Amino acid sequence: METIRNFCILAHVDHGKSTLADRIIELCGGLPKRSMMDQVLDSMDLERERGITIKAQSVALDYRADNQHVYRFNLIDTPGHVDFSYEVSRSLAACEGALLVVDAVQGVEAQSVANCYQAIEQGLEIIPVINKIDLPSAEPDRVIAEIEDIIGIEAHHALLVSAKTGAGVHDLLEAIVGRIPQPSGHPEQSLRALIIDSWFDNYVGVVSLLRIKDGRLPSRSKVQIFSTKRTYLADHVGIFRPLKMDDRDSLECGEVGYLIAAIKEVEGAPVGDTVTQADRTVTVPLSGFEPVRPRVFAGLFPVESDDYQSFREALAKLRLNDAALSFEPETSVALGFGFRCGFLGLLHMEIVQERLEREYHLELITTAPTVNYETLLKNGAVRLVNNPTELPPLHEIEEIREPIIQAKILTPPEYLGGIMALCQEKRGRQVLMHYYARQVALEYELPLSEVVLDFFDRLKSASRGYASFDYRFLCFREAPLVRMDFLVNGDLVDAFATIVHRDVAYTRGRDLVDRLQKLIPRQMFEVALQAAIGNQVIARATVKALRKNVIAKCYGGDVSRKRKLLEKQKEGKKRMKRLGKVDIPQEAFLAVLQRSPGE
Amino acid sequence: MAASIPCQPAEGDSPTVRDEWGLYIHLPWCVRKCPYCDFNSHRAPEHIPEMRYVTALCHEMEQASPRFRNRQLVSIFLGGGTPSLFSPEAIERILKQARVSFPMTTDAEITLEANPGTAEAERFKGYRSVGVTRLSLGVQSFDDERLRALGRIHTAEQARAAYRMGRDAKFLALNIDLMYGLPGQTLAGAQRDLAEALDFAPEHLSYYQLTLEAGTPFFHNPPTRPDDTVLARIEMDASARFAATGYERYEVSAYSKGIWNTCRHNLGYWRYGDYLGIGAGAHSKLRNSNGIWRQVRTRFPAGYLAAIEANQTGYEEWRLEHDEIRFEFFLNTLRLREGFSPNLFQQQTGENLATVAETLQELADLGLLEVSEHNIRTTQRGYAILDDVVAFFLPTQATGMIWPQACPA
Repeated sequence: METIRNFCILAHVDHGKSTLADRIIELCGGLPKRSMMDQVLDSMDLERERGITIKAQSVALDYRADNQHVYRFNLIDTPGHVDFSYEVSRSLAACEGALLVVDAVQGVEAQSVANCYQAIEQGLEIIPVINKIDLPSAEPDRVIAEIEDIIGIEAHHALLVSAKTGAGVHDLLEAIVGRIPQPSGHPEQSLRALIIDSWFDNYVGVVSLLRIKDGRLPSRSKVQIFSTKRTYLADHVGIFRPLKMDDRDSLECGEVGYLIAAIKEVEGAPVGDTVTQADRTVTVPLSGFEPVRPRVFAGLFPVESDDYQSFREALAKLRLNDAALSFEPETSVALGFGFRCGFLGLLHMEIVQERLEREYHLELITTAPTVNYETLLKNGAVRLVNNPTELPPLHEIEEIREPIIQAKILTPPEYLGGIMALCQEKRGRQVLMHYYARQVALEYELPLSEVVLDFFDRLKSASRGYASFDYRFLCFREAPLVRMDFLVNGDLVDAFATIVHRDVAYTRGRDLVDRLQKLIPRQMFEVALQAAIGNQVIARATVKALRKNVIAKCYGGDVSRKRKLLEKQKEGKKRMKRLGKVDIPQEAFLAVLQRSPGE
Repeated sequence: MAASIPCQPAEGDSPTVRDEWGLYIHLPWCVRKCPYCDFNSHRAPEHIPEMRYVTALCHEMEQASPRFRNRQLVSIFLGGGTPSLFSPEAIERILKQARVSFPMTTDAEITLEANPGTAEAERFKGYRSVGVTRLSLGVQSFDDERLRALGRIHTAEQARAAYRMGRDAKFLALNIDLMYGLPGQTLAGAQRDLAEALDFAPEHLSYYQLTLEAGTPFFHNPPTRPDDTVLARIEMDASARFAATGYERYEVSAYSKGIWNTCRHNLGYWRYGDYLGIGAGAHSKLRNSNGIWRQVRTRFPAGYLAAIEANQTGYEEWRLEHDEIRFEFFLNTLRLREGFSPNLFQQQTGENLATVAETLQELADLGLLEVSEHNIRTTQRGYAILDDVVAFFLPTQATGMIWPQACPA
């Protein structure tokens, strides 16, 4: 155990985590210099493109240190995006140390702060690493001061590296040996291993990434999953080497490696659970993680209704590897059959959508993301509502509570005004504001519903991209929320119903009817568009009746031309959905329901 | 609340309409093709093969003769193209053959379309003397600038002269074709055009909007035309003028001075009657005990002539499906102010009106049709959006390839 070092890399997106990981692997002789893939850890195409790692993975490396001892490095990968912070905490539970990588030009970002605090809370040794020192505009001293200032940890002994050129990486490896503690644990005790991650593999079934906390896990031994009490035969155990799996006779105390035990579903090996030996009785499991809950919801509908079955199957397959993804069937007047899916956040949603489109070749329409609400009913019951149409009748509701997040923003001071105005507009409540040398830290409590709308884009433009943002779910909190209905010629259109704050209902309603008025073509009769709360109409617009067709001359004997003309016009109408007697083009639905690009 | 849809034909209605029919003769050449025109017209060569073409038409009539042995020809329409490019002698031969080949009423309406230019006008008396009863002048506008924009070869002054010569020739009826919504036309301009046409007091006026048809130069390069608001004003204003001068809008784009001046031939189309079309590209609609049949003749004059001279039929013929018949019936009859009776529907389509009762009721509820026990017709509102009304009856299967079949005549 004294030669094992378990660590991860914490870094903001683009601060060079993947490049640094590559360099470490290379110096440890894990791969020849130009390997097949530049960034080994990111195995999915999509991840590599996004520069983000979605699923936690690990790689075992052997490093011959200056003291001539060979150390086993287990590098545990962490995702860099806020949506996946729960996966960060899982990764951290496998480690004794963390490299906090900060870009020598861009400095500290909110993401780094949030993740670093998590690592400190879990008692990890933090090694600050200033990356990209090869850049002419690098200011390592400034960044070191910022780390001390904003994060509040000692950084004068930070390592200056360039993952790109390899400069300083050797010193970094020595620091990993010298500064990160060896794993603790009791090798002589009965097996207790923490499930860091589980995923489904088409060939072998469920693969679990484990950290052996106590005891050892021999291959071909019988193991038990603590929560389910089900026992399995450990068919294979081993460690992940770069680009391959390395079967072992056993996993020893303090090691990180995989277990394959013919488990059929990821639910069989829940993340955060404890693996024990089947023949020994362990009474106390390891402390796991809080289960993840979807916070952002959207309807996904196949463009071709024939794709519904394959869509269902694709979601089920994705779900095997993504416990955070939830889905239930949904039908929409406008969009047909689909699923209402729950996501951790907007990025998670985007990734799922892209994987469905890319890997399963589905064409999807995604509705604008919404959040779920907690309703307290007059009879005292509390109900979670994922869809505005599920909201109980007003007279049964005592109060509606919306999800509130705690948002941390770091920004250069010149953008403070714009950002505060934005948070204000988004019904934010300021909790904290602190000036550092070059940046200002803001903490707000914000309704998640406002954040999923367009907050990221607005924040980016308000700060020219300099502000960084991190959030976590705080609580459900009561707010004056109402369900806004939408009526076409008096008929309720379910698909357009939304839950909004009373103060903005009027503006939103107005905006909605105005937009639809422009998109719904004139019909043979006048069409009234109304936004309403309960029985009260709050906004109204009218699509005037079609004034006239062209008066054309009689075609004499040839009716075919006229027929073709009328058929062409009808073809246009076919793409419309008929609500009552009103033809509504798909674009009108999409304008209301779909996310606008770039959100 | 609209009246319920009548389904049963009244007793004792005589199906005379079926026995009458019209003859359409297509004369396909023009001096030059106008940029808005998508009719089957072709630029005339220096000398059009007049006699060859007439011979072909006569041959067709001889061939068709047995089919109409027991029927009454009530109207002939010589359309184009520019029929007035043909000499009165040529027209005489055609009409003579028609009288030989087909039983014809003595008071048959015989219309000839003419370009209102000087050269043609000199032939008007000749046309009249060989039996043409009705002259239709493609005036389009009395504004030289509009005429130039339309690519017309005549001037406003020539049109006025042609009209007067038509009168002098003592045709029983004159028609003026007038268009609105022309390139660069203003409300006042359209008003002037119509006022001038009405001042001539023609028996009949066709008044319709310039449309941009696919495949025409205007379609690919649209000229600036009055917007919808102006067009609506033009139509509103026109309807008042027609009413004030005693013109009846008996069809969506056709006005007659009193109800006795309607165009019998066109009424045949609109009442979904039978017609035989001969000449290049002409369409026919014919009914026999096996159903309703359509014919289309070879479109290009050269091909048409070659086919006829080789003693081929020169046309394709196919039977209409039930839903096509229904659609064509409504496409035509709903254009008429008089509408149609349940009897006419039954006679012409062979189906009971109950087949479409639901759609009729829906349109009645929308205020687009007026439905009573003996009559169904388009309301004023329905007239304004006639395309949308007719579209309710479109066959479910879109028109595609034409399948020629042998007609068991």
